[in-house]
Order: sequence, then structure tokens, then C-alpha cells
Amino acid sequence: MAKTKIKKKISRRKFLQGTGAAIAVAAAAPTVEAQNPATIPTADAVPKTTIRITVNGTPRRIDVEDRWTLVEVLRDHFGMTGTKIGCDRGECGACTVLLDGKPVYSCSNLAVWADGRSVQTVEGLAQNGRLDPLQQAFIEHDGPQCGFCTSGQLMSAKGLLTRNPHPNANDVRAAMTGNLCRCSNYNHYVEAILAAAKGGSR
Amino acid sequence: MRQQNAPIPPLKTVGHATPRIDAAERVTGKATYTNDVQLPGMLYARILRSPHPHARIRQIDISKAVALPGVKTILTHENCDVVWGAGGISGGQQYNDDIKKITKHRRYVFNNPVRFVGDPVAAVAAVNRHVAEEAVRLIQVDYEVLNFVLEPEEALKPDAVKIWPEGNLSLNAQNQAQPATTRRGNVEDGFRASDLVFEDRYTTAFVHNAQMEPRSCIATWEADKLTLYTPTQGISNCRNDTARDLGIPQEKVQIICQYMGGGFGNKNQNQDADLITAMLSKQAGAPVKLEFTRKDDFIGVHGRWPTVQYYKVGLTRDGVLSAIQLRGYSGMGPYRKNTGAIGGIDLYQCPHIESVIYPVYTNKTVSGNFRGPEYPQGFYGIESMMDDVAHKLKMDPVEFILKNMTRKSRDEVPYTNYSLEECIHRGAEAFEWKKRWRPEPGSDSGPIKRGAGVSFMAFRSALGRSNAVIRLDAKGKYIVFVGVTDIGAGAKTTMAMIAAEALGVPLSKVEVVWGDTDRCPYSVGESGSRTTIQTGYAVTQAADALKRQIAEKGLPAGENVLVGSASPNPTLDGKVRAAFGAHFVEVEVDTELGTVRVLKYLAVHDSGRIMNPLAARSQIKGGAIMGIGMALHEDLIYDRRNGQPLTAGFYGARLMTHRDAPEIEVMFIESDDGYGPYGAKSIGESSKVPAVAAVANAVFNAIGLRMKDLPITRDKILGALA
Repeated sequence: MAKTKIKKKISRRKFLQGTGAAIAVAAAAPTVEAQNPATIPTADAVPKTTIRITVNGTPRRIDVEDRWTLVEVLRDHFGMTGTKIGCDRGECGACTVLLDGKPVYSCSNLAVWADGRSVQTVEGLAQNGRLDPLQQAFIEHDGPQCGFCTSGQLMSAKGLLTRNPHPNANDVRAAMTGNLCRCSNYNHYVEAILAAAKGGSR
Repeated sequence: MRQQNAPIPPLKTVGHATPRIDAAERVTGKATYTNDVQLPGMLYARILRSPHPHARIRQIDISKAVALPGVKTILTHENCDVVWGAGGISGGQQYNDDIKKITKHRRYVFNNPVRFVGDPVAAVAAVNRHVAEEAVRLIQVDYEVLNFVLEPEEALKPDAVKIWPEGNLSLNAQNQAQPATTRRGNVEDGFRASDLVFEDRYTTAFVHNAQMEPRSCIATWEADKLTLYTPTQGISNCRNDTARDLGIPQEKVQIICQYMGGGFGNKNQNQDADLITAMLSKQAGAPVKLEFTRKDDFIGVHGRWPTVQYYKVGLTRDGVLSAIQLRGYSGMGPYRKNTGAIGGIDLYQCPHIESVIYPVYTNKTVSGNFRGPEYPQGFYGIESMMDDVAHKLKMDPVEFILKNMTRKSRDEVPYTNYSLEECIHRGAEAFEWKKRWRPEPGSDSGPIKRGAGVSFMAFRSALGRSNAVIRLDAKGKYIVFVGVTDIGAGAKTTMAMIAAEALGVPLSKVEVVWGDTDRCPYSVGESGSRTTIQTGYAVTQAADALKRQIAEKGLPAGENVLVGSASPNPTLDGKVRAAFGAHFVEVEVDTELGTVRVLKYLAVHDSGRIMNPLAARSQIKGGAIMGIGMALHEDLIYDRRNGQPLTAGFYGARLMTHRDAPEIEVMFIESDDGYGPYGAKSIGESSKVPAVAAVANAVFNAIGLRMKDLPITRDKILGALA
């Protein structure tokens, strides 16, 4: 826990400032044409940290640039594109994942903050080829329309049912408020979550 | 609830609530959206946008950005002169190539002068997104800041800055500065014959489509062939437009759009992002992924045009309309992307009608298609106006509507079927209108006041050209090839259901290939709520063709396949086809806090035969909730002093959340007029059309004060009550 708190003191702004300084020093190549991709120093000039995170039960080790967000690592470096970026600024919840079991916006968490912690994404919901009851209920109640917010809705709902297995409709709405759906299929999402909590479908 | 007026015979697959055939992909994260695609050696791109609402670029210095290691290509107006839409979109005729050739108002992908905050100035492709972002910050632009104008009425004043040399009234399709005018009868005669005449002014805000998926695009060239992965509502049109704008043959462009995170109109045709990414990729000699930030998407794409609407309405003493006049002003932004029409008055039965609409250039973000483009704002205006007239005549608004609403299109042309009266009668009964509507608005005692509102609509359900191909192999698999994308309405599932029905086979035997111009035939795409009607009908015809083949040649064996294809272009024999609906809303207004809460909401729709009741209900509910948001929350606010957009983003725009969304009750009145696939009519857009007006009218009924400026926010309610 203490370790996590220290990590959190590093702000995103500081990372960006650090990046700028490093790039100013390294900015030597005069033209686009003159650059040789093999000698681009960008990646080396950026502060990096080796982190260990457990993703959907699998321990992983990766060198991350300190400025990388958690969603960036999941999508671009682990190829787990089920988690979506809707705003990249903590407004919509499309990127919601579970961090040590709790729903967080993965766009608003730096990857280094997840060091030593456990992440669950939408790809980890189904177990042994069996869909999670939430996924099944989302299908039956037509939760996803465009589907772009769906992974985030699922992970927030999973977080809710983990801490409150028998919510009422108002509990669901309150817990899910941070997950926007512009198709506005809120009615069906709430129905689906209540149905999954009851252990039945419709 | 599901009811039928004249019973329509049930079908085997169509009409049964069916989970989407690709739902498992959507709930497991396997569905591939544009930004999920990664290509080897792919570069990342970012756009530098104008910080000024109107400015001339004196000089762009890219030397520092170019020198940044990892930067591969930079485009500006100096080295990229691609014209988007091949010459602007004069008159809002975005489908008409001839008009694009003659227009004087060309919109380049990089413009000088820049004309709104967000107008693209430069684009950078670099080894990763962080370097691209850094490079954007290193580009130095010397601007000569010009005067700007934000509001359409101000922009037409003689002393307003001219955004284009020809002035700020957007030119029509003949390159003339004339408002869009429609007339029937003579309104002056109508007003002379009226016992009562009322006038009022209503205004609506710029609201953004705000689909969850921000725009992104991936371009890659193999020799002279361009492949674009892009979220587009119409792959066929996107290919056509992209080829034309880049000056290459259509067959050298492939558009791929598998899953798409919404659009509601702002992913129609091709977008500047497609052209910019293609040019970056060509210049860099590598695949490029362009990602819009959320702010880019709000200020750099488009939203619904803000309007000012002046109404004058004449009636006889017993409440029969004799004349309606509308003078409207629509803020189009500095480039014309749509008509700027204000719809609604056509839906009244009235001998004398005149509508004069001025589409006006402003220095705000561009306006374009957004779910029922000209209607939600137009219906808010006219339906508020009529609700007010009914109140002044001491009439129940339901009775007023029944007395005056459309029976024939424009009072002349018969509809293929007509159910508006039934929508209203059934809805009023189920909603318990008489119990919820207050004959004396604002009469509830105490600070919490309730009231009810109603609005109705008719929405085009026209037929049109589309193609479909169905292939049957020896294993008994039917593969349907259709050029649709799936914006969220469920087109892929609907096409499969229609194919299964038409072929007489179980849904599990049908697969759909969609969203790829190299594999799929023409479809108009997901705009105008017409995919089901047009491409769905083509599927029925392709199925018939395949069945004829089977009858002739027997089922295929071994490596053989049978193929049925169709490209119908049906017509209506002089009739008009429309979906109908009526929305009933009860609200509660806290007059101390200014908050509005929706207590009950009933949406009654005749969308013909419902193909998939499960997805159709989602569409109706979503449109209604979006309409509530437009009525009460959403507004892209600009700072009048400096022309800066202040609320670009989900929080700023105050989209509806889980907590704001009420239960929406949906009632379908099904019909089969003999057109479209099994009588299907339009759904998706129509559900938003009457929602805004119904909510606004309910607020009036609760507090007794007419709110004439959207959105009806707390401050406006408290201000009115003060």
C-alpha cells in the first residue's frame, strides 16, 4: 500500500515536463529525410520503469515509459483492445477496468501506478470459455448498441456486484453513473445488471 | 407493450426479439473497432488546430517539430491542398458532385484563413503518439487575428465581419445568396382570414453528436491502392468521396469499417480525418493511425446546427390553423456541411404556409448531420409554439394536435399508411393523459410542481437503391454480402434476420459479410434511418434470386456455390412513406432548485413492421433519452468575448448519465404498407424527433412559464421564476 502511495505522487504533468526536456536535448536531427529510424533516441531519452502487473490472472513484466497510461499499455503493448478510450480524460468510463477488484478509469491511471497490482479487463470476464452472467445478461437484454462503452459498463457492473451482490435499481444507477452511453441504452443496462444479480436472465 | 392496428400476419424470424448475432463479440472485447487495428510499422498522427475563431496564417514554422527525433511527416496548407468534398458543400447538397464543382466556398483539409477554433492547421505523423503530440506543440504559427462572429442573426448584419468574400449568407445550389424558401398558399391571405394571430421566438443550442468512439483513421498504401480503416456510416459513399477528393479511381480505394462506436450522423461520407491520414501515409511511406482526442472530436467534426426561429401563427376562433409563417436562422459554422433546414411546420394541416430559412456562416464549429438533422430543434420550436397557442385558446394540446396535424403529406400527397391518430389516441390513453396534464399550468401547490407534455412526428421512410448478394455453399451456409456498417442500430443482425425470413432457413444458417468495400456491394449506409428499408429490401430480392437458382439447379454440391444478387431501386407510385409517433412525458420541476426530473415517459411509434423488437426498443429508448438531454442539458457554449468553445467534452456538454435517464416505455403500433422488407419503416432517428418538444411542453405545464431557449437549464428556470 505504502509503495502505491509513493507512486501516486508522480503527476502526469511532471512526466510530460520530463519528456520535453529529454527531447530538447535529443533534438539534433535536422530534417525528416536525414533521420535513420534505427538511431532515433526518443525511446531511450524518456524515463522508463520496469513494472510487474497481473493481468487477468497472468503475471506480466514490462518496461513502460513513465508517461504511459494503464489503458495505453493494455491496448498498445498487451494487444488487449477490448478496453476502449472514449475521452482519455476521465469523463466517460469506456476504459474502466478493475484494479485490485475496484473499478478505475484506466486512462487516468499511469501504468507505473499499477506496479505490483492486479488488473482485470473485459477479456478476463469469461472463465473457461463460459461467459460471465453479466455478459450473458448484456446479450439477452440488448445492452450494447454501438458497443463502445460496453466493456466499461461490464467492468463497473462487475465491481458493483462484487461489493454488493444484490443491488436495487437505484444502487445500480448510482454505481454506474461514471459510465456514459451515448446510445443511451441505460434502461437495458440496468435491467441486465439486475437480471445478472438475480442469477436469472430476463 | 406491442400492439397492432390491423393485425399483420406473424413471420418466422422477422418480428421476434432476437439478440444481436454479434453480441458475444461486443461483450467480450473481441469486436474490432477502427482504433483497435494495429499495422506493422504504423505511425501515429496528431492534428494542430486553430486556437482562434478567425485568423489569417502569416507563417508556419515547422523546423523545430521536424527536428524532433521520431517525426516523419508534417502536412500544412503549404504542402497539402486537398479539397474536402471536392469543393465545399454549397447549398448543403453534399451528395451532388456537380454542385461541388461550381462552389465558390472550397473547404480544404487545411485552410488559410482558419475560420473556427478547431480548424486544422497542421498534421504530424511520428513514431508514437507522444512524439506526435510533442511535435504539434513545437509548430509555431504566426496568426493575424481577424474579427469573428458567432451568432447567425449578428452575422447577417451589414457591419459583421465577412467570413467569405460573398458574405455570410451561405450560397444555395445555384451559387446565389438566397434563403431556402418554401410556400404553399399565401400566408398574408391566411393571416387576414385569421381570428387570432400569435408570434414568438424560439432558440436552440449547438449540441454535439458526442458518440462514444472518438474519430480515428488508419491509412495504408500498397503501390497506388489506398486502404482506409475508418469509422464511417457509409462505406460506399466514403469510398466514392475519398477517391474523388484524392483524385484517384474508386477501385483504388478500399474502405473497411467493421465495428463502429456510434456516430449519430457525424460519421457520414468521408471526413477530413480520412483525407489527412491518407496523405500523411502517402508522404511517410508507412501506415498511419490518426487519433482524435475527445476535444478534437467535439470541436473538429460537427454537431447540430443552432437555430433562431420566429413563428407567426393564425387561427380561427375554434382553433383551426389558417396560416403558419417561419423565419429561421441556422448557424452553419464557416463551411456548409448540411442544409440548415428547420423542419416541423409541414406536419400541420394548414392552407397557408411559408418557411424562409437563412443558413448562415459563423465562426463556430461546423454544423452537420445529427440524428434527424433538421427536426428535433424544429419540432421544439413549432411544437412549443402550438402548445402555447392551444394554451391561449384554452384547448387541451392533445385535442389541438388531433384537430390540426397532418393527414396527407403537405396536405396533398397520401401516405402509404396513416396511423398518427392511433398513435395519439392509444398513447394518451395508456399514459393517462387526462390525469397527468394540468388544465391550469403551474397550478400545483408547493415548490415541487408536476406537468405533462406531448409532441408528435412523422419521419421519412423513403425507398431507394441498394444492393445485396447471397451465396450458398454445399455446407448449407448462406452468406449475405451487404455494404452496411453497424453504427449501433443492429444492421448486421437485421440483414441476417431478413435473409433468414426470405430464404425460409433458420437464422443460424446465415452469416453476414459487411463493412468492407472490397467484399460488399453498394449500400447507402447508415444515414437517414434507411438501411433496413433499402438494403433490407435488396436482401429479400437477392434471396428470391437465390431461390430461383436453387429451383433451377438444385442445391450446390462439392466446391460449387450458388449466388443470388439484386440491385433494386423501388418507387412509391406517387405516395409518401413515413413513420409516425407521439411522445408523452410527465415531469416534476423543483421550483426552488430549478431541476427537472422526468417521472413518466411513453413513446408510441408506428415504424411499420418491427424487424427485431429487442433492438428497436433500444433505438426508441436511446433517442428519447438523447432528446431529454437536448431539452435539459446539452450546449456547446462559446465565450462571446474570444470565440472559444467552453464546454467541449462529455462533462461540459452534460450528457445524460445512468442517474439522469428515466424508464422509457415503448409502444409499437405495427403496420405493413406493402413496401420495404415486410413493411419495415424508419426507426433510429425518429425517436429523438418529438422528444425535445414533449419535455419542453411538460415543463411549461408544470411551471406555467414557457421556456423559449434550449437547453432548459436550472439557471433559466430559476431566472424565469424569479
